[in-house]
Amino acid sequence: MKQQQEKQMLYEGMYVLNAHISDETRNHAFEKIKSGITNRGGEIVKVHDQGRRRLAYEINRQKEGYYYLVYFRLPTSDMNDLWQEYHLNENLLRFLTIQTDKVMDEIKFKQLPEL
Amino acid sequence: MSMMSQKFAPKKRMSADPVDPKSRKRKRCPFQIANFEDVDYKDIDTLSKFITERGKILPRRITGVSAYFQRRLAKAIKQARHIALLPFVADN
Repeated sequence: MKQQQEKQMLYEGMYVLNAHISDETRNHAFEKIKSGITNRGGEIVKVHDQGRRRLAYEINRQKEGYYYLVYFRLPTSDMNDLWQEYHLNENLLRFLTIQTDKVMDEIKFKQLPEL
Repeated sequence: MSMMSQKFAPKKRMSADPVDPKSRKRKRCPFQIANFEDVDYKDIDTLSKFITERGKILPRRITGVSAYFQRRLAKAIKQARHIALLPFVADN
């Protein structure tokens, strides 16, 4: 009841998971991230699986990461809780959650004019 | 009123070199030319045009980016660094 009254915001979260674990373990870790959102009364809007990517710098001696981009709605007050949980997730190398107002259906960007 | 509609009034520049200032072409903000609404941290191709080989953010006096977009650009670059899409320092 309490959560329905609270304001839900649209967020965009990027997650970098350990790329050196099996697909199964990684999927499990990602499920955990998703259930962290849904269990708090949130709703997952869209998931982009961006796959393996070379990290720009090493994190925990790892050179590669597996990138996911998730759009979700969540009551604002649950965000702190969610971050706490992320910090405990060992397979999650990095995460970034920002408020956004639109969902990107495709990850495509405008081109800059020639400089 | 959006920030983008602000006039880009050319300031009179005092310069020491004898080049006629009128003949020099004024740099215009590439983001305004391309009608960007915001700068996204996921857009690595664009962001990497505004960092040096070492990974530092280029000053806008070199790139000609407007103050409004330079603030957004700097933020996006910092977000991209955090998520390891861009380096903090590149030493190759």
